[in-house]
Amino acid sequence: MKVELRGIHKYFGNNHANNDITLNIPAGTIQGILGENGAGKSTLMKILSGFIHADKGEILLDGKAVFIQSPATAIHHGVGMLHQDPLDFPPMRVIDNFMIGHSGGLFPNRASVTRDFKLIAEQYGFSLDPDAYVDSLTVGERQQLEIIRLLWLGARVLILDEPTTGISASQKEKLFATLRTLAEQGKTIIFVSHKLEDVEVLCHQVAVLRQGSLVGEAKKPFDTKKLVEMMFGKEISLGARQTLERHGSVLSLQNVSIEDVRLKIKDVSLEVSGGEVIGLAGMEGSGQGAFLRACAGIVRPVSGHVKVRGRDLTGKSYHVYKRNGVEFLPAARLEEGLVPGLSLTEHYVLAEKSKDVFINHERGLKQAQEKIAAFNIKGTPVHTIESLSGGNQQRALLSLLRDPLSAVLIEHPTRGLDIESVIYIWGKLKERCRKGTAIMFISSDLEEILQYSDRVLVFFSGRVSQPLDASTTTVEQLGQLIGGKGWAS
Amino acid sequence: MRKSLLTVFAALTVLSLILSACGTPATEVPEPTEAPATEAPEPTEPPAATEAPATEPPAEEQFVFGMLLVGPYNDHGWSQAHYEAGLYVEEKLGAKMIYLDKVNPADRPGTTPDQLAEELVSQGAKLVIFNSDDMKDASTTFAKAHPEINVIMASGDQVWPDGKAYEAIPNMVNIMGRMEYGKMMAGCAAALSTKTGQIGYLGPLINDETRRLAASAYLGAKYCWTEYAGKDAADLKFKVTWIGFWFNIPGFTSDPTQVANDFINTGYDVIISGIDTTEGLTEAKKASEAGKEVFAVPYDFIGSCEEGASVCLGVPYFNWGPAYLETITAAKEGTFESNFQWNGPDWSDINNLETTAVGFVKGDALSPEASAQMDEFIAALAGGLNLWTGPINLQDGTAYLADGEVGTDQQIWYLPQLLEGMEGQSVPQ
Amino acid sequence: MTKNSRWVNVGFQIAALVLALLFTSLILLAAGAPPLEAYKNIVTGAFGSFKKFSDVLVSWVPLLLVSAGLLVTFATGLWNIGVEGQITLGAIATTWALRELQDTGLSPSLILFLAILAGMAGGAVWALLAGALKTFGGVNEIFGGLGLNFVATALTIYLIFGPWKRPGVASMSGTEPFDEALHLSLFPELRLSPWALVIAILAIVFVYFLLQGTYFGLRLKAVGKNFRAAYLLGVPTWQYMMLSFLICGALAGIAGAMQVTAVYYRLIPSISSGYGYLGLMVAMLVNYQAIWAAPVALFFAALNIGSIQLPIVLKLDSSLSGVLQGMLVLFVLIVEGVRQRIARRS
Repeated sequence: MKVELRGIHKYFGNNHANNDITLNIPAGTIQGILGENGAGKSTLMKILSGFIHADKGEILLDGKAVFIQSPATAIHHGVGMLHQDPLDFPPMRVIDNFMIGHSGGLFPNRASVTRDFKLIAEQYGFSLDPDAYVDSLTVGERQQLEIIRLLWLGARVLILDEPTTGISASQKEKLFATLRTLAEQGKTIIFVSHKLEDVEVLCHQVAVLRQGSLVGEAKKPFDTKKLVEMMFGKEISLGARQTLERHGSVLSLQNVSIEDVRLKIKDVSLEVSGGEVIGLAGMEGSGQGAFLRACAGIVRPVSGHVKVRGRDLTGKSYHVYKRNGVEFLPAARLEEGLVPGLSLTEHYVLAEKSKDVFINHERGLKQAQEKIAAFNIKGTPVHTIESLSGGNQQRALLSLLRDPLSAVLIEHPTRGLDIESVIYIWGKLKERCRKGTAIMFISSDLEEILQYSDRVLVFFSGRVSQPLDASTTTVEQLGQLIGGKGWAS
Repeated sequence: MRKSLLTVFAALTVLSLILSACGTPATEVPEPTEAPATEAPEPTEPPAATEAPATEPPAEEQFVFGMLLVGPYNDHGWSQAHYEAGLYVEEKLGAKMIYLDKVNPADRPGTTPDQLAEELVSQGAKLVIFNSDDMKDASTTFAKAHPEINVIMASGDQVWPDGKAYEAIPNMVNIMGRMEYGKMMAGCAAALSTKTGQIGYLGPLINDETRRLAASAYLGAKYCWTEYAGKDAADLKFKVTWIGFWFNIPGFTSDPTQVANDFINTGYDVIISGIDTTEGLTEAKKASEAGKEVFAVPYDFIGSCEEGASVCLGVPYFNWGPAYLETITAAKEGTFESNFQWNGPDWSDINNLETTAVGFVKGDALSPEASAQMDEFIAALAGGLNLWTGPINLQDGTAYLADGEVGTDQQIWYLPQLLEGMEGQSVPQ
Repeated sequence: MTKNSRWVNVGFQIAALVLALLFTSLILLAAGAPPLEAYKNIVTGAFGSFKKFSDVLVSWVPLLLVSAGLLVTFATGLWNIGVEGQITLGAIATTWALRELQDTGLSPSLILFLAILAGMAGGAVWALLAGALKTFGGVNEIFGGLGLNFVATALTIYLIFGPWKRPGVASMSGTEPFDEALHLSLFPELRLSPWALVIAILAIVFVYFLLQGTYFGLRLKAVGKNFRAAYLLGVPTWQYMMLSFLICGALAGIAGAMQVTAVYYRLIPSISSGYGYLGLMVAMLVNYQAIWAAPVALFFAALNIGSIQLPIVLKLDSSLSGVLQGMLVLFVLIVEGVRQRIARRS
């Protein structure tokens, strides 16, 4: 189906989120939408899929102007959207989740729906068990489920918003293959991403948004440098690897074993020095999460010892670790790291160590202004945390770390962030390293791991590799280990 | 998530409140013959009394009296008997009654009877009737705080000079009927009708009044059991089970329906009610419809046999009208004087509603033979038979009245225990 | 929030009030009663005289205390349904203390002071039980609280019928009234105790500052809004939850103590008078903002007292006030939902 957007405008208060955007997408095209966070990509896609309405402008599908009132209207017109966080209902079976949103009457025919489901799944080479529970699926499998569902509902335009976040390399390959097949069948694919690499590999044509406006379009083959310039208005590189001075051992693990319902990690010993960065690589759920949390006292090891600057803190709570200069930043920012509903100022006051009874609002405000400036957060002290964009939330999360610290443990420090934020955040982290803080982080972005770590631990279903020297390890080597190859049995 | 929880909570609250609010008027069965005037207020005729209380009291010539009823005004029991008496006074005196029913802590949380009495005063009441023992303390408080308002404390003993709790309160009258006689008749009817020799007494809460009434029922039952049925007193079982209040308050009292059924299921074939509502009668009726031979004697209100005429042996009732008329007339004419009244039946005709304070109407279920014996018994009482004559022992065996000794009013009013031969709690444990 | 949007909010609240009145009017019409007449009676019943207004304040005192407490638990994200039981336990503990101390010859004011403290402790202990069930037993505070409410009622009845019965009497109507010396002193001619009034006002002021201006309050809010993040930010979460229960229970306990020492002068079975549930409605209605609790609680108390006139004058059931209160909460929630939807759209 041919999709045309004409003169789309959208305001959020004073923020001009979409400024006169006009786009033509022929049927059978994979259209990339590039732009950093907050450029207006998601807004545009939400307008197209009926979640919000444009203030001005029109949408034409196959040359016919349509008014997309709601997501239901959108799918009725053949437009379906996959979200950054697939909107599913975790405690259900795949097939039940699949049937939601289908107007099949009070008693849908489960058997025939299951047949349809299997048929579509097979067609695209997805191996999803219809009777599995949704919460047991990986992010990639949930995506597959969403794609099947949208196709089954009759989608001819598929919108994917940051679909490669949080899925494994092989799942990404599979996803791309599927999308290519769909495009060949005449379906229109709109692929929203801030990852240049993905867009370059997959898309036929690309539109770049910056600050709400369409700043340029390009067709395959792409000129990377030019795309970057369009996105950021300037050229950016990750910068050279740097290794910093060591400050003696800050975190020491001795024969630590961890068990949770799914896996066991046995006998890990590790010395982490101040100023050092340790990257933890592995497929999601391979044990690196439990390991990182064990280093902060959030998960209790079943045996072994954890020492912070020589002090044995085994079995102590996170708050004791915190008092000893170890802080943990979770990946789920709004779920675990920040408090939605509280303002930036309130966060800083909350993170303060104060024995006072009454809050000194002036001091809090001043502190917030300082942090906002220091961390380049786009927001004001009274902004509630959830009203900030993802990158700014992450900056805020980092700005809450106390000073000085022995060790910072971070899950996915830059997931979902644009490259500018990534560079900024790592700049801030390295600043801490320079002051003697050790950093341990999890990332699914192998380049990030190799770029910023000194040593890397690879996790594969509970097994932990020896520390690898990041400067001599390649992405391929890491990829093999993550995928379970090359382990001594 | 939380918002929706809130909404559900609020919706449920509203729903339940609407149900409770609409429930009452919906189930209100207007009295078939009586009570025409005070029912269903017409929106078009705003009575004088609805005017703001601060302004002039209502029409000068019409005397307004207020009444606080412990239960619903249409409970077919204690409260309705008072309500009907109020209507009687309205008619005879041309006075106007305003009332508030369900005056008890469960139905009107956060209020006290003296506060509610003031609400009546604010609507113009010059005299307030407190109809329950439960409001005794509050009536004292109120009477002392409002010396200009006359107070009738029904069933109370505060202004009984011979009473244990005497206080001089010049603007208060205590009125009570000598229900002891009614209960004796109830007991007699039960004794003459029981096949199993087991009589169950559905008691309200335990206090002086309820003890003496239960004991009177037993005395009447024992008398008729031995004198007319010619049986051995030892074969008569008479058991009292207390529910804890004058009527059922779910969650707070025992359920009288349950208690009545326990009686029926354990061989008690007559239930004498001492409570303000008619569960004893309705349960007996259900049981008899299920094939059991069970009878009941309700209490308080002349019309209470209605709900189960086929099993009703009769009802001892209060007729508050004459006494109220006298006292309210006195109040209206300015001749109100504090006194204590314990009014007996009009022995020339215990069912003469113009004169008697206590009466007994026989029910359909009373056999002709028993009915004749009842007449004989009533005649004997009228002729001076006093069952409160010794020897009477208390439940624990201590002698209360020596052989031939006649109980004084104080001895009867303040009976400390149930009597020997009765089963059930005498005093709370 | 800009000034403008604040006024828009007030507009929405007024709309909710109007809707609630309209709906209640419909119910009244369905019941065959004239709504205006009914509302007029409620107003004159509550504010018709100084004494009536003072009765409204009598009802306002426990309601405000309970609402103040609930603001604290709501801030912590806790649904303290058990507040009814906490009032009751406060009343029981107060009664206990008065009974124990009345013959000791201590000065009555000291006895009263100790009895109110006992009430605080009683309510707090009951709340901590609910908290412990939640924290250590994994029992949701709603279910734990409901269970404890039943236990509290059963305990009251047991005490009234059993160990604390009036001599020779077993009646649901309550324990023996306390000697007049052990009543909180009242304003002359009124049923209102200045002490109770002062305590209630102090309580709401305390809660206002606690939630608005203290580290403690901010931490409670953080726990309420995001338990896990609060933990990672260094707040000892379960301890704060317990403290929140403790404060609410203590305030509810004072409410119970006031019922005993300033209203009924004895323990009665329904001593909590439903103020706990009413307080939940107040707390919801004010959207957890302490500053509004006082006027809204006053409004609810006025409805309670004003509606007594309804059965006298219009032969309507006084639970109409409950309908109006419930409607109000419902419509405020609905209107709030609509407002948020509109806000999201634009």
